[in-house]
Amino acid sequence: MTLVETVGAVPAGSSTRVPVSGPNDVETVRRWTAATGNTVLMVHPDSVEVLRGRADDPVRALSADRRPGYRLWVYTNFHCNLSCDYCCVSSSPTAEPRVIGVEEFVRLVDEAAAAGVAELFVTGGEPFMLLDIDDRLRHASGVMPTTVLTNAMVWTGARRRRLEALPRRGLTLQISLDSATAELHDRHRGSGSFERAMTGVRVAIDLGFRVRVAATLGADAGDSERELMALLDELGLDDDQRVVRRVARQGAANAGLTVSRASLLPEVCVTAEGVWWHPVAAADPAMKVADDWHPLAETIHKVRDEYRAHRIAGDVLASTFPCA
Amino acid sequence: MTNHEELLVGAVAYSANVVPIWEGIRDFFRDSSTPTDFVLFSNYERQVDALLAGHIDIAWNTNVAWVRTLRRTGGTARALATRDTDLVFRTLMVGRAGSGLDGLGSLEGRRVALGSRDSGQARILPEFFMARAGVPVSAVELTVFDSDVGKHGDTGRSDLDALRAVLDDDADVAAVGINTWQALTAAGDDTVVDLDVVWESEPYSHCNFTALDSLDHDRAERWVTNLQGMDWDDPEHRRVLELEGLRRWERPVLSGYDSLIAAMDAQGISECW
Repeated sequence: MTLVETVGAVPAGSSTRVPVSGPNDVETVRRWTAATGNTVLMVHPDSVEVLRGRADDPVRALSADRRPGYRLWVYTNFHCNLSCDYCCVSSSPTAEPRVIGVEEFVRLVDEAAAAGVAELFVTGGEPFMLLDIDDRLRHASGVMPTTVLTNAMVWTGARRRRLEALPRRGLTLQISLDSATAELHDRHRGSGSFERAMTGVRVAIDLGFRVRVAATLGADAGDSERELMALLDELGLDDDQRVVRRVARQGAANAGLTVSRASLLPEVCVTAEGVWWHPVAAADPAMKVADDWHPLAETIHKVRDEYRAHRIAGDVLASTFPCA
Repeated sequence: MTNHEELLVGAVAYSANVVPIWEGIRDFFRDSSTPTDFVLFSNYERQVDALLAGHIDIAWNTNVAWVRTLRRTGGTARALATRDTDLVFRTLMVGRAGSGLDGLGSLEGRRVALGSRDSGQARILPEFFMARAGVPVSAVELTVFDSDVGKHGDTGRSDLDALRAVLDDDADVAAVGINTWQALTAAGDDTVVDLDVVWESEPYSHCNFTALDSLDHDRAERWVTNLQGMDWDDPEHRRVLELEGLRRWERPVLSGYDSLIAAMDAQGISECW
């Protein structure tokens, strides 16, 4: 009776809290909402928040390639040959490596495929700091399209030989390059890094790899993006081989875009320390989703549920706006 | 003109709240010298047509509907009353906090999300202010959300769609009405802490009660005087005022529509869609 009266008094698209006094009450509310075309938004300790009417599923509303769990990000390690001042996870030569070993990586990729993950992104740190990164990439690219993020600066000696032996099919090398000239790139990534990155880009292209260039731009970037695009034109890279993202205030960056679980479209990310909401914040305790990635399918569902709740709550707010 | 003793006010049904708002206003006027009833329309174009046809006496119009009525009456339509909040309406450009963007000039070459094509606050005025600042929409990467067309942005849907584009990294900034922004911040929405106002427009006028010049001026004046008797400190009145988003009914400031008139002229927006 209380349930019918409380929810019945609310216009479609608005929410209300129904008081409950235990799990049995919660179950009753769940059954009733399912049977009457209403939606449970959130279960609180002493109430259940109910949306009047059916809510469109915000996850379904996303294009397939943006749904949480379509992509999986994996930090294979956190140590790096560079110490970029905007690094979102504070990687550096002295960072704790936190390596995901080959065996665990293989299990993760196989489980990801079974969970419906369609695309893998391998990042770090600098993944090519791991001498056996090629074992991981060879397995991953055989299972699903795989992109490895790299600064393209460590391909010498044995690493170069292992790079050359990597499969071209199913593997993309995403190389960091922030500008068309050394000034801006080196300001944040270290002296001489631009020239070496450019060499790396050319090596990767010459070796027949699919290459994507990714720029990370801060407030001092000015109109450098235009010059960078001209350079990428010269290198023959198409639009889908270019990524420009802004610096996020995470890790080593003391300025940049502010992000949080509530405001960021999730992209499930696994590190040796657990699962994170998004790779841009894989060292931020507030963005940690789980301590262990296994079972991955369940973790992906958990992320989707949390995203769904944020979005529906935001849409409910829309219906409360006092307008004209 | 309607022939009823009651003045008939038109309003657009932009949300379920419209019914309790107008039932409250109807009840408020019941024992006054200007009893009032209301009818609801599905969109502002239909409402303006009904006003011009004499099917209603007064239309609760958006700023865009007001300008259209003004044009279609050769400038003789009258604005009777407005919300206090309508006198200081603004458009904001909102981006992710820490973006480094500051002012319209900083938007050149960036991704800008705007709202419905019939929304003064979410589309028409932002485009106008951008062009005036030397950053026309041709100088940015533009995404538009024509949500709830016909409601002139009242539902806030296109503001939210544009803000969502910022959160999903499909845009760097979104144009939103100050009412949307204030509602989000007042509600403590946890996404708002990651957003920041990059630019704020000058104030302009928004909704008003519009009447034709043919409505008896004394009767209209009495109606406005009665309307202004709604008291924030009276719980019954306050319920309606809060739902409608104001503290006091005020006299309109017509110069507050100058920017929108100029914008609609510059953009060649027709008298009706």
